[in-house]
Amino acid sequence: MTSAVTGFDAATIELLATSLREVFTAHPDAQGVAAALDELGWDEVSASDPAAATTLLFTEHGRALAISRLLDDIVLRELTPALPAGTGNRAVLYCHPQHALLLGPLDDITELVTLDGAGNVGIIAAESVSARPIRGFDPGSGWLCIDEIPTARPLLVGDAGQRAVAAARRALCAEIIGICTTALDSAVAHTTSRIQYGRQLATFQAVRHRLAESYVAVEAARAALAAAWADGGVWTARLAKLRAGQAQAELMRHTVQLFGAMGLSQEHELHRRVTRAAALDLLLGGHTAQADEVGAALLAGADLIRVVEI
Amino acid sequence: MTDTFAADLDSYRTALRANLMRESSLHAWRTRHYATTEERIADHAALMGELYRQGWNRYGWPVAAGGAGGDERHRAVLYDELAAAGLPIPTPHLLLETLGPPVSRFAPELAARYLPAYLRGEEWWGQGFSEPEAGSDLASLRCRARRDGDNYVLSGQKLWTSHGATATRLVCLVRTGTPESRHRGLSMIMVDVDTPGVSRRPIALASGDNELAEVFFDDAIVPASRLIGAEGQGWAIAMYLLQYERAMYAWMSAADALRRLRELRDQLSTRLAAGGTLPGAAAQRLGQCYSQLITLRARSAQTVRRLAAGATVGPEASVDKVLLGGAEIALYDLSRDLLGPEFVFDDTATVAQWRSEWWYSRSATILGGSAEVQRTIIADHVLGLPKEATV
Ligand SMILES: Cc1cc2nc3c(=O)[nH]c(=O)nc-3n(C[C@H](O)[C@H](O)[C@H](O)COP(=O)(O)OP(=O)(O)OC[C@H]3O[C@@H](n4cnc5c(N)ncnc54)[C@H](O)[C@@H]3O)c2cc1C
Repeated sequence: MTSAVTGFDAATIELLATSLREVFTAHPDAQGVAAALDELGWDEVSASDPAAATTLLFTEHGRALAISRLLDDIVLRELTPALPAGTGNRAVLYCHPQHALLLGPLDDITELVTLDGAGNVGIIAAESVSARPIRGFDPGSGWLCIDEIPTARPLLVGDAGQRAVAAARRALCAEIIGICTTALDSAVAHTTSRIQYGRQLATFQAVRHRLAESYVAVEAARAALAAAWADGGVWTARLAKLRAGQAQAELMRHTVQLFGAMGLSQEHELHRRVTRAAALDLLLGGHTAQADEVGAALLAGADLIRVVEI
Repeated sequence: MTDTFAADLDSYRTALRANLMRESSLHAWRTRHYATTEERIADHAALMGELYRQGWNRYGWPVAAGGAGGDERHRAVLYDELAAAGLPIPTPHLLLETLGPPVSRFAPELAARYLPAYLRGEEWWGQGFSEPEAGSDLASLRCRARRDGDNYVLSGQKLWTSHGATATRLVCLVRTGTPESRHRGLSMIMVDVDTPGVSRRPIALASGDNELAEVFFDDAIVPASRLIGAEGQGWAIAMYLLQYERAMYAWMSAADALRRLRELRDQLSTRLAAGGTLPGAAAQRLGQCYSQLITLRARSAQTVRRLAAGATVGPEASVDKVLLGGAEIALYDLSRDLLGPEFVFDDTATVAQWRSEWWYSRSATILGGSAEVQRTIIADHVLGLPKEATV
């Protein structure tokens, strides 16, 4: 069992968070981030407490709206032992019913490892596909889409595929929580400083209650993520992703409202948080689809396991 | 045996689980439906007697007060395992969770005298906080306790006292200071319902269940030895109590709610198997509700562990309460929507129970501080926002 409680003390976490913040502000691209993390000796940090390190890394990633292939690393770490030896660099192709997504360009990639939400895994040659940049809701993501995928060589990887999905979902939860935290902080700061009707916006109950609800949503997602780490399973990682997706939906609805017109403007950075969180929610299964699947599984007789024990 | 379980939560859990599965004397409580609240409380109290006799519900309570040692986690495990075994969490435990901790902490001698009988199911208590003109604004309460020698003389009224019509004792928040003293002039005191000058009247919820009562004090004389904490300390103790009312209650309710969700799922699966259909979005809402309950457990478990470690949870307990309110409302709205016409028109005991619990679930966002009050607490004390504008 991976522990989320042992490992780092509060001071270490603060120190690591600061270092990560510096990494993500200094490097706007995937290569830069990877090199800087190497220099920081992140692998070692991560080995000493994977739960805390991954949560920290992806939370800061989210706060900074960073672009990287760190999620591929998480997936490949689970899959590599179960895959045939590679011929060069690999990246992950995240397969959804209508969209196959890449987190970055194919430049130096020779093989794509395909992964879907059910944990099915395959390998295709990178040269056999063409990727187009996504110009969708979140233009800043740097993600790409592949419209025509040759049939992948299906691979029997045991439960490694599902473990990879679970690991990726936990990382995505942390990233979404990171984005939500900055959005909430900025909404608190904004409503505390802006004056209307001769007083701070945050003195109006309607405003205060939206902020409180947003806080509850993030704390709920945090608790669900901690439970997912404590248990390490596929089912709980999915429940945590569902909660994180739900949290971003609620929190972004509230924060956009609280910024007034400014929240809709290109100039203000809030919209980038809204769109990134929406994209991350959909990666490996959005919250409404997840709820649907969980509910269907329950109706089909799945045990209502209680997940958390005292 | 006692000492092992008190010190070792896992062995307590394992032994308890095995026993609940095996013990045939408990079986009768699995399937009962009750026509009235009075009947339910009395029968659940008998269940407490059985659990006490076997020792299980004594863990988590101080030895000096009839308990067997251990801490909040033992109590949380008991509720969890009862629910998992398809047994009800005995109704009197609701108020025991709220009132037991402050009485044990601030009036150990009263706890030693009366708590053992509570644990045995021989008596239960009510919480006399709310009044006709003091609901959310609890600090405005007016029920007076005037000091007279070794006694207090109580006059005034309490309202919405859960189980108040059948309780043996009431733990009341009363005004010992001036009428304008707000939270500074409050004290907490335990009153026996058979004290001359105390009268009560049951209040039925919309479901017809007599869950509540109103209580009148007409110069009722209560010994000063019945104070919980010192005179004037009432508000501080109420805040201590509210951590339990919000956090332990949330854990307990989540355990029960998960059992009920399982039962609802079984009912719906049966309908599907018989060729029936479910309204649109049923699966999504079911999945959503389950994830809400698991999230509540995740959060609540952290809080219970903090309480067990002696930490002050304070305003953070409001997060648990808000999550509970959301989850309970969602569960019972789901039961109402998915059972559909059956919920509205049918007369079976099973459906009647869903209906009565649906009504009760509405209180999840009212009692113990309403949903709005919890949000205000979070805004003030967790987010540190500027104070609300007063007009
Ligand atoms: C089933 C049940 C059991 C109960 N058991 C007990 C018990 O055992 N002992 C006991 O003492 N009491 C008990 N209560 C009473 C409960 O504590 C009160 O109902 C609660 O404190 C709210 O008070 P009120 O009903 O007077 O509502 P009010 O305070 O009048 O509130 C009415 C509505 O106005 C809103 N409101 C009030 N103030 C504000 C504000 N400042 N900002 C925004 N909205 C506001 C509330 O959120 C609520 O929606 C029980 C209630 C129920 C329903």
